[in-house]
Amino acid sequence: MTAPSIILVEDDPPLRTLTARALQEHGYLVRPASSGPEMWVAFDAGPVDLVVLDVMLPGTNGIDLCRQIRRKSDVPIIFISAKGSETDRIVGLELGADDYLPKPFGTRELIARIRAILRRVGVERGPDDHRESEAHFDGWSVNFRRRELRSPTGAIVDLTGAEFDLLGSFLSHPQRVIARERLIELSRTRMGDSSDRSIDVLVSRLRRKLSSADRPAPITTVRGVGYMFNAEVSRA
Amino acid sequence: MRWRLRGSIGLLGRLFAILLATVTLEFAVGTLIYERASQLSLQDDEARRLAEHLVIARKLLSENPSRERPALSFQLTTDRYDVHWSPAAPPPPPLSPGLERMRRQIIDWEPSLEKASLWLRLTPGRHSEINGGLRLPDGSWLYFGMHHSGGKWAFTIGRMGLALIPMLALLIAGWLLIRRTLAPLRDLTHATHRIGRGVEVMVPEAGTSDVRNLITAFNAMQARIHRLIDERTETLAAVGHDLRTPLARMQLRVESVADPDLREAMSDDLDEMGEMLESLLAYFGGDSEPESPVRSDVAVSIATVVDAFQDHGHDVTYDGPDHLEMTVRALSLRRAVRNLIENALHYGHRARVSLERKDGEILIRIDDDGPGIPRDRLEEVLRPFARLDEARQRNTRGLGLGLAIVQKAVAAEGGTFLLANRPEGGLRAEICLAAPRSTGRG
Repeated sequence: MTAPSIILVEDDPPLRTLTARALQEHGYLVRPASSGPEMWVAFDAGPVDLVVLDVMLPGTNGIDLCRQIRRKSDVPIIFISAKGSETDRIVGLELGADDYLPKPFGTRELIARIRAILRRVGVERGPDDHRESEAHFDGWSVNFRRRELRSPTGAIVDLTGAEFDLLGSFLSHPQRVIARERLIELSRTRMGDSSDRSIDVLVSRLRRKLSSADRPAPITTVRGVGYMFNAEVSRA
Repeated sequence: MRWRLRGSIGLLGRLFAILLATVTLEFAVGTLIYERASQLSLQDDEARRLAEHLVIARKLLSENPSRERPALSFQLTTDRYDVHWSPAAPPPPPLSPGLERMRRQIIDWEPSLEKASLWLRLTPGRHSEINGGLRLPDGSWLYFGMHHSGGKWAFTIGRMGLALIPMLALLIAGWLLIRRTLAPLRDLTHATHRIGRGVEVMVPEAGTSDVRNLITAFNAMQARIHRLIDERTETLAAVGHDLRTPLARMQLRVESVADPDLREAMSDDLDEMGEMLESLLAYFGGDSEPESPVRSDVAVSIATVVDAFQDHGHDVTYDGPDHLEMTVRALSLRRAVRNLIENALHYGHRARVSLERKDGEILIRIDDDGPGIPRDRLEEVLRPFARLDEARQRNTRGLGLGLAIVQKAVAAEGGTFLLANRPEGGLRAEICLAAPRSTGRG
């Protein structure tokens, strides 16, 4: 298996060099670009597994570039931005980016995100492509783009990255028993996330968040095996 | 609008115009009352008695020689009627309302008085409300006055009322007009109170030209202030964002430092700088558009923040409902709770977070077991860049914006933020928000 190819679009030369070096050290093939036009040239140079894209670029900014890429390709995109706010993150994700990393970031965090996304793509973008934007169950709705969960009454319910990934795993396998080990494997896509709690803690937290006054969360424990998500899931 | 602007007169002019209008109206109404006096009438029997008395007096006086007439007229004077005789013609009729209707009543009873050129008038005097005169056949004059006995009060009150009603009406009209004229000034005062609380309060231009000029100047000043603030915010945001790129470079460079202690220390410094930038941008705005309120589950948000602290090994607990849905600026509120927990852990060792719905209020409390804050400094710590550590020789990270950010976030929700020393020791930070009408989950 060849090393994954990454296009890195960053206008600050030293940061571009540093980031490229960090990625290379971790075994990725990097094609650096300083602007939109250079990025398109890099696209033509060969297959691309992932794009790391700075949001604030001279000329065509990262957001417009992301839109343009999405018109042609489903290649995973990680935004890096000097704007750290949640709204910017959501805008980026809405546009079809797969993750959003605020500056300053460390190599460990960047690599973890890249690995997580590449793994997610490997797992999910197989024959059964799950890049649809929404899923519904018991009145709850999940927006995968924004990584957002809404209650039956329309309120946003905070989930951590790990919790969201866990919920995503459950939603991909509704009404089927999932072994603990399999769940760990499915949900461990976010190593950069601070939570390294055991899967049971994650499940209990998710249960608490999905419960309501009149009914418990639709996650049952199958003793000795794992868990089951027993609600009907409809996808849109 | 344009023509009104040009044609508008000053505040002084407007007030003068109101004064002029009231005075003119008063004059007009006064004249009308004067006219109306001719409509005053006497009761029938009273008119007849007066007519009879006049006929008798006229007959007696004219049948007696001139020198006996004064004495005779004295005899003719009763409780009710004054009678005088004068050989001279009447003085020019003073400016008092003629009582045409009353005269007609009297003449109807005694048509002979018509020829004697009977005249009547209202007098302002105290004794007789009505007096008049009539000519004797020899050209001398009989004057009489009538004490109005029976209907005296009603008559007087009627007259006063007639004068009072328009006066009151004019007072009210004048008050309303002046109030209307000054209304734009009131708006301006209200706007001034609200200025500097974040939103631009444009006052509609209305009123007289000088008030309008004041409002124009006020709005322009406000626009200038907001432009200044915006410029500062933009500058700050630009600096903040630009600083993050070199910070990112340093972060990556630090990783190649061989000495692990040095690497750790530098990495820590970088983290702190990043946090400082973040709190600066959070406090002054500029990282993004102001957040708008959305319906979100506050209980879950708080629990999530608490979970994150627990994952980092801190002693933080959450006590409260699993769900509580409210429309709030969720990110700001979450940041506020995080700041308060950080503070609690900085000054104490543990944080007890609770969420409670009580008497139409939502209370979010963060209790710590630290030393608390001296009573006289409780307010001071809410100010931006304030810190208590100078006095306590303790090392604090950040810029001292933590509580100021909380204060701002809570104010944006229309809530209150309180710090209090707990009697059992430690500090209690309390965020109090108005409860939503329904918190149920369908």
